[in-house]
Amino acid sequence: MIVNKELIKKVAATAKLELTEQELEEFIPQFEEILKTFSKLAKADTKNVLPSFHPVPLKNRMRDDTIHSSLSQEQALSLTEHKKDGYFKGPKVV
Amino acid sequence: MVNGKFNSDVVIGLEIHFQPNLKSKLFCSCATKAETKKNENSKDEPNTRTCVICLGMPGSKPMLNKKALDYGLKLGLALNCSIALELIFSRKSYFYPDLAKNYQISQFELPLGKNGEIVLSSGKKIGIERIHLEEDPASLVHPNTIHDSAYTLIDYNRSGICLIELVTKPEMRSPEEAREFLKKLRTILQYLEIFDEQTGVIKADANISIKESGYVRSEVKNITGFKEIERALLYEVERQKQAMQNNEKLVMDTRGWNALTGKTTRLRTKETEADYGYIIDPDLVPIDITQEMIEKTKRGLPELPDEKIKRFITKHKLSPIDAQVLAMERVLAELFEKVAEEIDPILAAQWLRHELVKVANYHKLALDQLRIEELEIVELLSMVEKKEISDRTAQQILSLLTEKGFSPRQYVKEHKLTIVSDTKELEELCKKAIAESQPAIDDYKAGKEIALNNVVGKVMKYTKGTADAAKVKDMLKKMLR
Amino acid sequence: MNINTTQQQLEKINEEYHYFNKLCNVQTKKTGKLKDYVISVKDALCVKDVETKGGSAILEGYKPLFNATVIEKLLAEGATIIGKTSQDAFGFGTFSTNVGNNMQIPLNPFDKNHSTGGSSGGAAGFTQLAKKKGIKHIALGESTGGSIAAPASFCGVYGLTPTYSLVSRYGLLDYANSLDKIGPIAASVKELAMCLSIIAGHDEKDATSSKTSIPDYEKGLSKPIKGMKIAVIKECFGKGIDPAIKQNILETIETLKKQGATIEEISLPTTTEYALEAYYILAMCEASTNLAKYCGIRYGRHEKLEGNFNQYFSKVRSHGFNKEEKRRILLGTFARMSGYRDAYYIKAAKVRTLIIQEYKKAFEKYDILISPTMPMVAPTFDEIKRLTPLQHYMVDLMTVGPSLAGLPHISCPTGFKDNMPIGTMFIADHFQEEKLLQIASSIEELNHG
Repeated sequence: MIVNKELIKKVAATAKLELTEQELEEFIPQFEEILKTFSKLAKADTKNVLPSFHPVPLKNRMRDDTIHSSLSQEQALSLTEHKKDGYFKGPKVV
Repeated sequence: MVNGKFNSDVVIGLEIHFQPNLKSKLFCSCATKAETKKNENSKDEPNTRTCVICLGMPGSKPMLNKKALDYGLKLGLALNCSIALELIFSRKSYFYPDLAKNYQISQFELPLGKNGEIVLSSGKKIGIERIHLEEDPASLVHPNTIHDSAYTLIDYNRSGICLIELVTKPEMRSPEEAREFLKKLRTILQYLEIFDEQTGVIKADANISIKESGYVRSEVKNITGFKEIERALLYEVERQKQAMQNNEKLVMDTRGWNALTGKTTRLRTKETEADYGYIIDPDLVPIDITQEMIEKTKRGLPELPDEKIKRFITKHKLSPIDAQVLAMERVLAELFEKVAEEIDPILAAQWLRHELVKVANYHKLALDQLRIEELEIVELLSMVEKKEISDRTAQQILSLLTEKGFSPRQYVKEHKLTIVSDTKELEELCKKAIAESQPAIDDYKAGKEIALNNVVGKVMKYTKGTADAAKVKDMLKKMLR
Repeated sequence: MNINTTQQQLEKINEEYHYFNKLCNVQTKKTGKLKDYVISVKDALCVKDVETKGGSAILEGYKPLFNATVIEKLLAEGATIIGKTSQDAFGFGTFSTNVGNNMQIPLNPFDKNHSTGGSSGGAAGFTQLAKKKGIKHIALGESTGGSIAAPASFCGVYGLTPTYSLVSRYGLLDYANSLDKIGPIAASVKELAMCLSIIAGHDEKDATSSKTSIPDYEKGLSKPIKGMKIAVIKECFGKGIDPAIKQNILETIETLKKQGATIEEISLPTTTEYALEAYYILAMCEASTNLAKYCGIRYGRHEKLEGNFNQYFSKVRSHGFNKEEKRRILLGTFARMSGYRDAYYIKAAKVRTLIIQEYKKAFEKYDILISPTMPMVAPTFDEIKRLTPLQHYMVDLMTVGPSLAGLPHISCPTGFKDNMPIGTMFIADHFQEEKLLQIASSIEELNHG
């Protein structure tokens, strides 16, 4: 597993993080070490083993198609600084 | 797509999303539609149908709407899909201002349904790759145009509404085939009663390529409505052909459809496939889809258009085309079945598929918006069947019936519209007409058959249209022999 | 403020030890089992209208519009919520040193140069200090990979991590949803049992909440442990463990024997070999999706709205997250990217199956498994600084196994090394919290006897 600046930059772009040069330099050896350790899993024999996405069996949880009251517009917008005319304001898309 | 895989001139694949008619959202109990009070137009103020779940507030957790599964299952079975053993949701991660959590809860590994099909009238099958459930993002409003706004406005009312996604195999070879596919799909949705065409939204992304370019694919995003999808496809095929004729090189790109200009425009050229980093959503648990659920859903399915067409042909002896046209509109098909119990089915089919559709078009209404009372229609058509009124009279009454209710028989009586079937009276009127139409009679006698219509018209005028035009014509011919 | 402590007292303690990110005073009812108690809650739990940050600067100013289900249950029993305890941001740490930008690191009540442990560091630290000051208090902590047991061990108090799904997670800021468990930290086993009886139980707002019936956990406490089958996890005494801790565990085992428990040794090779890797991969994969929602639009940290969404989101997130948050987001994003997903994410989920099976097999034979909670006593902040991130992760060796398998476990104070507490961990099968409380209760008697 080769960890270099390009790889970390690509992952950071996907995760919407902007890293400083210093952070990049620091992360390279750390990630190399960590990913090398993670790769140890390849040795585990998991042939015919199904993955577990929860530790205990949990199934069949659903709700009926009924309506409960929603937040008021004021409540919905109460935690943001960026709002206008009942809308949230977000960054432009292009 | 590997070049050379295809051999048709045009290759089209569709990815269709529609909002099934659920009351609440997919993972929370917010309403999907604005509440409409009596005597009031529905107002949909932004951000009034949201909660901590569909706003993606930290700490909130999703809980699946059971009916969404019921609806998905219905559609999957109606399209002959193989159904997954479990319903499992994944997080599709990407950042965009319309996503409350910057991931969309969707399905990845194990879609609800796989490998279904829709059969076109030619017998050709269009494969359905998969159908699955997912949540709709919020809606973005761009204060100016998408390019020169400093910010976007976000309305989370749509955030979390259930979407059913249906992906076809790239097996449509013309916009016409795509149109027929969509029409069939629309009919199936009507029959299943899982989509409300008046309030629900249906959208498509279309992949289109042509042989001349070696099948370089363009993806047209976000086309809204059945009619627009066909328009966009027609435009895009033409654009690609034109480009090849002009020796332009086509590249894979993603395009937007502008319904106002009727054109597609490039949004971006396709770089690498986006990496959505799917994981199983650990806030949700698998739902068993048992054989019992499947059997029960199957038993509950209505008769679908293909079966209806067959039955109309065998039971009611309709022509394949009549059967097809009636079955493809749920309103017509159901009305036909009721009317055909009382009236000659072939006569009923003609009247419904031609005359009733004409009336709907005249009023610019969809068939399911039309006022239709089956008893009134039966009464009207039984008078037609017994030749008690003329076709023209019946057409006029049919149109009136879609506006208000009344008894057609009563109406005919009151307005004295019963056909003039008294031969003696008709002979008198014919004589009168002949006497007043000397030039036409001369023409007719000189071999100009068509001139007789003029005389027939006169008789019809005397009878206020209540006479049987064919009978009048015969009578005139005899008298002029 | 409640009968047994005052706002000034809390403020003073906080100035000195940094146990709270936010103090508050919420009581909705004056009757119930908890009417005499003050309750502190880990910052990761939503308390309506009280700033809730999960220890992260990205959530600056977030005041939830709702109470977590556990908060509702505590308030219904007359509890007074006194504040949000400090933690590693989003639970990303074992020492509570990875606090959010501009936040303070909680200090060990035995020695301020030492860590409280993490990530529920403020919770465990305040529990020990409240005990010393005679304040009737229970803390609500949260554990993903050992964040209740670790600080309980470092601060010399009892910490119970319930079976995954026993306590509703509704209203918990997610670290890794398939691993996160809310549980109590307290000065006594009885208080753990009382609190668990209140917070456990099905919640229809959480799809991962179990429908199992809830016993009265306080009732079983006095049951003798005679005949209980206990196994010591052999691999926990391998290299890297402090010999003083090994000695302490052996002594604890002797006393359990004297009380009539049978003690054997068990080997858990798959868990020992792979649990740490599988745990961190799954936790980071889930965490990286959970933390995507923090982008400065609807709540939390905002920045001036400029640039396109890529630029704006990157700015907010780069300023709001600390280094460890960034590290885990990046590693988690990487491990689920196409091309790596099968080798990391899916593989880890398969290994998880093997680990669950290994434990399940052990519990066919034994009631309880024993290991040290931590391989060390609370280190000093200087010692922590010298650890690489990987070494940091390795400290969780003992707790990641039961965490991956969703098994309930309890850390009990069983001694001291150089004036710093040692913790012993007991692990039981799914939903066997009664057995854990029973054995913890017998340990507690010995401590006081």
